[in-house]
Amino acid sequence: MPHCRTAVAAEIVDGMTAIEVRDLTRRYSGGFEAVRGVSFDVERGEMFALLGTNGAGKTSTVEVVEGLSRPAEGTVRVLGHDPYHERAAVRPRVGVMLQEGGFPPDLTAREATAMWAGTLTSPRPVEEALELVDLAHRASVRVKQLSGGERRRLDLALALLGKPEVLFLDEPTTGLDPESRRNTWELFRALLLEGVTVLLTTHYLEEAQALADRLAIMHRGRIVAQGTVSEVVDAYPSRITFVPPPDVQLPMVADPDGTGRVTVRTNDLQRTLHDLLSWAHAHDVALSGLDARSASLEEAFLAIAEEAA
Amino acid sequence: MRATAVGQAELKLFWRNKTALFNSLVLPLLLIPLLAIVDADGVPLVIGIIAFVLVMAVYYNLVTTFVARREELVLKRLRVGELADPEILLGTALPSVVIALGQMVVAAVVVGVITGVDLPSRPWFVLLAVAGGIALFALLAAASSAFTRTVEMAQITSLPVLMACFLGSGLMIPLSIAPENVQTVLNLLPLNPVVDLLRAAWQDGPVLRPVIVLAAWVAAGTYAVRRWFRWDPRR
Repeated sequence: MPHCRTAVAAEIVDGMTAIEVRDLTRRYSGGFEAVRGVSFDVERGEMFALLGTNGAGKTSTVEVVEGLSRPAEGTVRVLGHDPYHERAAVRPRVGVMLQEGGFPPDLTAREATAMWAGTLTSPRPVEEALELVDLAHRASVRVKQLSGGERRRLDLALALLGKPEVLFLDEPTTGLDPESRRNTWELFRALLLEGVTVLLTTHYLEEAQALADRLAIMHRGRIVAQGTVSEVVDAYPSRITFVPPPDVQLPMVADPDGTGRVTVRTNDLQRTLHDLLSWAHAHDVALSGLDARSASLEEAFLAIAEEAA
Repeated sequence: MRATAVGQAELKLFWRNKTALFNSLVLPLLLIPLLAIVDADGVPLVIGIIAFVLVMAVYYNLVTTFVARREELVLKRLRVGELADPEILLGTALPSVVIALGQMVVAAVVVGVITGVDLPSRPWFVLLAVAGGIALFALLAAASSAFTRTVEMAQITSLPVLMACFLGSGLMIPLSIAPENVQTVLNLLPLNPVVDLLRAAWQDGPVLRPVIVLAAWVAAGTYAVRRWFRWDPRR
């Protein structure tokens, strides 16, 4: 029964890892290396976020994983297949939202969706897809008359149209108003609950913090930090800032910022804060503008960008 | 066929594009009476019309269509879907091809009836010429679009093919005024085998050489498209 065993083996490989990227390098025709040896895995049903400054190589990476171009070096597997050479095997099972989607400006939202549906193996009904992204009321409006945020949502409707197992979202909420962004997040959560795997790139750190199971931060074509949100964040210190009265000897190391405000960095926020407040109480010192916060993704991100610069 | 979904959308866009609509439907209707009063032999006129439609309605139209869809990022979007590359090109080209066929049939029949042209004695050469010509000029359009950055630039980048076709095919200037060795070279131009095959349908004439030249052009066009076609705008 060798046939059966192969099928089971494929099932197992298929069942664990949705996306596997190994030592991926991408070079543009001018010789510029946009991606330099990137590796990561995305497990079935999880959301993995790629973060990074502009030009860090996020979109260049995602385009290779989507199968739009071939890696210069390294390998990519999506649902067990090479997305570039085995396009026909991969595409019916994935949905892609590009950073900048293109639709003929003179088609209506419904017509653009219907056209896309006509190219798919097993599409959702057109109205259902528009409903999902809250665009049903704009179905008869031409693409050129849609707002930037509405066009993003139309692009998302197309990505969802084929009921994908793996979803690629390149800055999906850029240009959306806060309410649409929240609605879109709810939609992503619902999709994740259904078991859809998502590879996300975003500029919004709170988006990654709210949604992603794991994330990687890219800088100049490399991954510089990778893990769950707390794994990435825990490597960075918490901060306490305040304005001490002049000529006071503080009980701990504090960096002045030149305006009178000082920053204390600590890996044990509770203990350090307790020490500081006890000292202030004992010496009757007022700490104006006191602010204490755990390390956040934003701080980790800024620290990484600074370190690497 | 999945490519027809793209073709249908393209056809809708065509109906909404007033300039394209005028150029391909109204303008030919205005030209037909002019052609009819020309005191010319019917057969060369019908052949000329078919050739003209191939170059303008298929080639020139498709250069601008491919460039427009590429610059609108429509081709890039289609490429992340399920369609294979040839299906995307085919779907995008479909309406232009259908309209061109319509123009050929209507114009050829009207002119043919007015000037009293007999039905071709070897009609399959008409089919071969038209089918091969459409495939070739659609491929050449895709290849030309790779060297065309904007829709406006198409007027310039399409010139080499337009000149080669109109001046070198013997439709406007008879090839017989050129020396024989020049004629031999000119007969290798893309429109010439199509014209030769059309002539062979009505009058006896050589068919093997034009069939070989046409096939070679289709092969070269296919290679050029695979090698140079651009799916997204230059950055």
